[in-house]
Order: sequence, then C-alpha cells, then structure tokens
Amino acid sequence: MSAPLAFAWRSLVRQPPRSTLGVLGVAAVGALLLDMLLLSEGLILSMRELLDRLGYDVRVTASDALPGMGAAIEGAPDAVAAIAALPAVRAVTPIRSEDAELAHRDRQVTSVLLGVGGTAPVWTILRGRDPENRRDLVINRYAAETLGVEPGATVTLRASCSHGPTAPPPVEFRVSGVAELPFDTPETASAAARLVDLEDACGAPGAGVADFLAVTSAGDAAAAAVAIGAARPDLRAFTNDQLIGRVQQTGFTYFRQISTVLATITMAFALLLITVLLTVSVNQRLGEVAALRALGFSQRRVVLDVLCESALIVGTGGVLSVPLGIALARWLDTILKRMPGIPEQMHFFVFEPQALLFHAGLLAATALLAAAYPMRIVARLPIAATLRNEVIS
Amino acid sequence: MEAHNRNEPFGLKFSTFLLAALLALTAVSPSAQAPDVPSILVSRQLAAREGLTVGDEMRLATDVRGERSRTFRIAGIYEPTPDPMRLGSVPLSVRMHLPDLLALTRDAAVPAGTEHVEAINVALADPADAETFSRDFNARAPGAFARPTSRATDSATTFVVLERFHAAIAAVTVLAATVFLLALTVMLVDERRETVGVLRLIGLPVRRILLQVLVEGVLVAGLGALFGLLLALGSEGLINRFFQWRYDTALVFVRITPRVALICLAIAVPLGAVATVVASWALLRRGGLRLARR
Repeated sequence: MSAPLAFAWRSLVRQPPRSTLGVLGVAAVGALLLDMLLLSEGLILSMRELLDRLGYDVRVTASDALPGMGAAIEGAPDAVAAIAALPAVRAVTPIRSEDAELAHRDRQVTSVLLGVGGTAPVWTILRGRDPENRRDLVINRYAAETLGVEPGATVTLRASCSHGPTAPPPVEFRVSGVAELPFDTPETASAAARLVDLEDACGAPGAGVADFLAVTSAGDAAAAAVAIGAARPDLRAFTNDQLIGRVQQTGFTYFRQISTVLATITMAFALLLITVLLTVSVNQRLGEVAALRALGFSQRRVVLDVLCESALIVGTGGVLSVPLGIALARWLDTILKRMPGIPEQMHFFVFEPQALLFHAGLLAATALLAAAYPMRIVARLPIAATLRNEVIS
Repeated sequence: MEAHNRNEPFGLKFSTFLLAALLALTAVSPSAQAPDVPSILVSRQLAAREGLTVGDEMRLATDVRGERSRTFRIAGIYEPTPDPMRLGSVPLSVRMHLPDLLALTRDAAVPAGTEHVEAINVALADPADAETFSRDFNARAPGAFARPTSRATDSATTFVVLERFHAAIAAVTVLAATVFLLALTVMLVDERRETVGVLRLIGLPVRRILLQVLVEGVLVAGLGALFGLLLALGSEGLINRFFQWRYDTALVFVRITPRVALICLAIAVPLGAVATVVASWALLRRGGLRLARR
C-alpha cells in the first residue's frame, strides 16, 4: 500500500496548484460538515450538561409540562416532606420564580426573581456570599451593572406574583452577592433569594407554592422518579434523561433538521466536486496510465493509485477541516447565541469525540465513493488503443 | 398592543390550548346533545387523527379521567399558524371562545368572572399612542404588564438571527465552491495549454486571448447559474412538499424569491468569470513556444 501512496503523493506534488485547491476545498466542506454534526446534538448536549451541573437528577412538577412552564405545585411543603422521606431521595429543593422590579436610587431593572427553598444554592457566587439572612438576595452580573450595586447595597424590590395579592408592596432587600444563575440569558437581569423571602415579597407568607421541586436522588434517578410517582400520584417526576427526551421531542428540532439537511447537501457537494476533480485529472493522464500499464503496472495497482490520490486529497483536507471547523463553530455559535431566551451557558455547537469519528467516517466514505468512477475509467482503460491515440495526437 | 401577566407571556386571542395529556377527547353522537352546544375549531392535524368533521360533537375535559367534561360542536377545521420553533411536534389543538374555556377550566372554588386570562389584546383608537398607553397602564396596574406589539420582537429577533446564521453558512459554502471552482478551472485551462500556445504563436495578443477567456467564463458561469436556478426552482416544490409531509405542517421551507435569484446570479456569474481569468492568467504569462511545446 505504501508504494501506491507514494506514487499518488508524487502525482499530487507534481501539480501543486490543483492539489492545493482540492485540499483547501475539502477542508472548507469538511469544516462545514463537522459543524453540522456538532450542531445536530449541540443544544441537547449543552442542556444535559447544564442540568447535570446543577446537581439535581429528578424534577417534580404538577403537570406534564416542562418545569416552570406549567401549573404550580400547591402545598409544596407537604410535597417536599413526603418526597424527602423516601429512601431513594437524598434532598429536595422547592423552586419558584416570579417577576420583579429592582430599583436602586434612580436606576431600575425588570428581573426574574428565583425563590429557592432548602440550603443547596443553585447558583455560583462570583462576589459576596449566599443569601443567608432574612431579605438577602443575590443578583446576576447584568443586574449589578444596570443598578450599579455591589454586595452590601440595598435594593427596593417590587414583585409581580402569580399567587397572592395583585400588587404587593415594595420591600427592601440587601444584595448579599453577585452570582451566575442557572439559565441566565444575556442582557437579562435575574435575582435569587430564599423561598420564604420571595413569599414575603409577594405579600403571601407561607403560600407554599413552587413551580417545581428539584430532587437529588440517593444514586438511582430512575428509581427515585418511580418512588416519587408512587408516593405522590398527583405529581409528575422526570429524570434529567426524561427531560432531555421531552425537550428533544418538542424543542430544538429546527437545528437538528437543518443540520441533517446541510450535512447531506455538503456531503453531496463534496462528493460531486472531488469526483469531477479526480475524473478530469485521470482523463488528462490517460496516456500516462496506459504507459504504466504497458510497463507492467497491474490493473489493481493503477486503481489503487487513484484511490490513494483521493484518500490523500480528502485525508489532508479532512485533517485541516478540524481546526477550521472548530473556529467556524465558535463564530456560528456567537451568531446563534444572539437569539432571545438562550441561556449564556448553553451552546449550539458542542464538541464531542463521537462527532469527530462520524466526521472521519463520512469523509472516508466520500473519498471512496468519489474515487469510484475514475477508478473504473482506469481499470477499463484499453492500453494499446490509448497509447496509439496518444502517439497519433 | 397587548397586556399580559408577566409570568405567562403568550397572548392568546381566541383561546387556544393544546390537547396534551390533561385533555381527554371523545367524539359523541350529535343527536344526543342539547341544541345550544358551543362551537369550537379543530386543527387539521387533530381532525385527521381522530377522524373529526365539521358538525361533529365532541367532549372535552381538563383531566384524563374525563371528569367535568363539556360537549362542543366542531364549527370548522383550521390550519395552525406554522411555527418553525415547533417543527416536529404535531399541533393537536382546538380553539374556542374565551367564556367557554373559562367555564371548562374554572376551579369549583373560583366564582365566575374572577378567573384569570394570560393576555388581553388591545386595539387603540390611535395606534401611535401605544407607548403612552403602555406607560400609563404599567403605572396604574402593578400586577400586569403592557407593551406595544411593535416592541414584542422576540420572535422577529429569532428570525433575524436565523437569517444571519443562514447567511454565514451560505458564505462558507460559496467559499468552498470558489476553491473547487478554481481547482477545476486550473485543470481545464491546463488542458487547453497547447491551443492557447498556438493562438499566441499565430499572433493573438495576450489581451485578446484573455478577453476570449473572460467572455467564455461569463457565458459558462451564466449558463451554470441559470441551470442552478432552474434546478432550485424545480426542487423548491419537491423539498417543500417532502418536508410538509414529513412534519405535517404548512410551513414553507424553501422559497426562491426574485431577490434570492438575483443575489445568486450576482455572486455566481462574476465568481465564475473571475475564477476563469485568474486560472488563465498564470498560463498566459508563459511564452507561446513554451505553451505549444508537447
């Protein structure tokens, strides 16, 4: 195999412009193909990573809707107590979100206010500390910059709640820290406090309402979900995998479809062009190939030469396409992340070794298929007639 | 102009709700029902799946056990507004008058008239007052939030971003195509090396040959671009029909507009012509004898 490879290499080196252009073309197409493979699963992988990072492996809701999208859980403290008592469960955190206006001096911002029960925080503190005392809250970086506040400052909070009085009075909160909250979207203010403080701000202390319960299982998420379902048949429990499955069915379909369509078109495009390049190249060298056959090169050998030429072009282009594709993915990710409602920590293009393997496999198949027609031409070349034509012309 | 509760941002004009697991549906015999049965609209997909037709009566309930159900008469079948973000999920939905929805979903403990709605669409006498109206409303009604519909641009922004994404993909595709095109033209020009050499030897100046190559390039690129456009126009219907069938939607996936066609021509023709000239230029710099030599 090394002899045909060396021969193919010499053939390519002999014509640097066309070889370079062919390799660059494959690199560009390969980069696009890699990006489409990364896009097809990117959001799902990113979402899974984000969910896993929060440390909860089961979400409990009042309806079949995704957490935070459907009906609220009434009587959340009872539900928390019932679920926490299950042996399959290690911890339960009720979570509720409302909208709020935050104001500091003459500045104000509309924010999402997260109320979290229990002690395990769902955010990452950047400056300051967790809200430990009554009417403490953490805010995200955008809210801190918009209001011009740092930990220790006091802000006025006017909540707009779905449960409780329609217009609760404004209350003062102390900013205990600046944090990165889960599912924060760019240029959106968000804040988080203890659930009891959110209920206070809503003017309904002890309302016992939660959007959903975040549960940490004792080790087996699926068993915990089943146990919760049995203990509280009025509630729905989803493991992270089940949630991802539901999201996969209902959301993000557009990007999966477009990546499939574009990957198919890209492959077809690459196949067509490499076939044309190799075919024209072989047609220009028919005399040379016939001479080699006359000198004793076997049919298998000349066919292998063409295959190796294709493999070299596609292989070199494929290797170049990986860094190019990663750079391109970063650029495309920046474009797509400007879409409203996309959390900062989510990415459309997520690198995974499996995608790289699939990319290599697709390019190998392209090299093989693209070489098929020129290999056929070389294999069926009439040696004597070709040499005669060459001499006459 | 729309006003809605801040926690439930989806305004619904003519109450719509999805038939998810919470909604039990049973077709019933029309003869068994009272004459003042409220009317509803049923999505095409739901009608097809359940074999429903206009005039049929059906019972809707808000729980899977079918308790507190109510009978409705199908007044029409509608095509849901296509939504690219919901591609792949079949819209099994019904639309009903708001009072009917409230009566169906109202909790026993909630007195009639005190239910909540998610959004109220307001048509102002003068649409130019939208900003002022929103400010006034937000100051007077702390529990609700009003915003002009012209500012409710989340979905518009989504499509602007998607358009940019498609433009970026198209740019990379054009770049890859240009590289391949150059490779092909280099090969084709090389194939005509001897002919060009002979033309040089019989006295044709480089400029004249270059002009000929340019005209040839424009013609080939023009014909290629036209062929590409015809191919796109021909496949437009096929692609749309396939994906509309695949996802059971009225969404238009591909639309070749005159603007798109013009952009394609404006990119493809100059690109093809320039690629031909660039590929020929290196060849034409060589002497006629060197070119004609075998």
